[in-house]
Amino acid sequence: MMWAGLIIGFFGLFIIGMGFVWVIRMEYYLGYLWWPYPLAIGILIIIASLFVSNGLISALMGIAGGSFIWGATELKEQAVRAELGWFRFNPNKKPDPPGVKWIKKIGAPHL
Amino acid sequence: MTLQWAGVCLALATFLSIWWGHVGVRILEAKSANIWPPTIALIVAGLALIVYSLFAPNLIVSGVSSMVGITLLWDAFEMYRQSKRIMHKHAPANPNNPRHAALLAQGLATTEDLLDREPTGKPIVLNDQAHSATSNTNVVGDYKKVGA
Repeated sequence: MMWAGLIIGFFGLFIIGMGFVWVIRMEYYLGYLWWPYPLAIGILIIIASLFVSNGLISALMGIAGGSFIWGATELKEQAVRAELGWFRFNPNKKPDPPGVKWIKKIGAPHL
Repeated sequence: MTLQWAGVCLALATFLSIWWGHVGVRILEAKSANIWPPTIALIVAGLALIVYSLFAPNLIVSGVSSMVGITLLWDAFEMYRQSKRIMHKHAPANPNNPRHAALLAQGLATTEDLLDREPTGKPIVLNDQAHSATSNTNVVGDYKKVGA
C-alpha cells in the first residue's frame, strides 16, 4: 500500500489549517500589501522542490508552496473581513512593505 | 540532473483544489435547497480518493488523489460553514434558493457581497448597525467608514 499518499494528504490538511492562521496574523500585524512576499516564498519553495531527490519531501514542499500562493491571494479579502468587524481589526499603522508603490500599482490578487 | 516533479504536481493540486473548492462550495451551497446531499457526496468522493491513494501506482498519483480527497472533505465541512455565513450576512444569499429566500424574507440574510470591495484601512459599519457608529462616520455607498 502507498502510505506516502496518506502522509501527503494529512500534511496538506495541516498546511491548509496553518494557512488560515498565518493569513489572519499577517494581515493583522503587517497588512494585505505584503502579499507579494508569501507569493514569492511559495514560488521559491516550489522551485526548490524540483531539486530535492526524495519524492515525498518534494511533494510536501510543493503543498507548502501552493498553500503560500493561495494565502497571498487571501490577504486582501482578509483585510476587508477585519474592516467589517468579522475578525479583529488592528487600528495601528501597519508597516509598508518594500516596494509599496509598485505593489499598489499592481493591485492585490483575489480569486 | 533529473528534476523531481512531485513538488510541482502537488503544488498545482493544492492550489487548484483549494481554489476550485472555495468557489465550488459557494456555488453548490447557493444552488442547493438542501445542503446535505452535496455534503454527503463530497464526503463520499473525498473518502474514495483517499482510499484510492493507498493503491495508486506511484507517488504523484497517490499524493494528488489524497490531497484532492482531503480538500473535498474540507469542502464538505465548508458547506455547513457557508450556510452559517449566509445566516450571518457574511456571504450573499441566492433569492432563487428557497432556503435562502426564507432567510431573506425574515431579514436574516443579504444578497450583497460585502467582501467585494477594496480595503480602506478603516473599520466599516454596516447600515443596519449604524446606530452604534460614532459621530465621525461617513456614509460610503451602503456602508459607513468610521473616522474617515
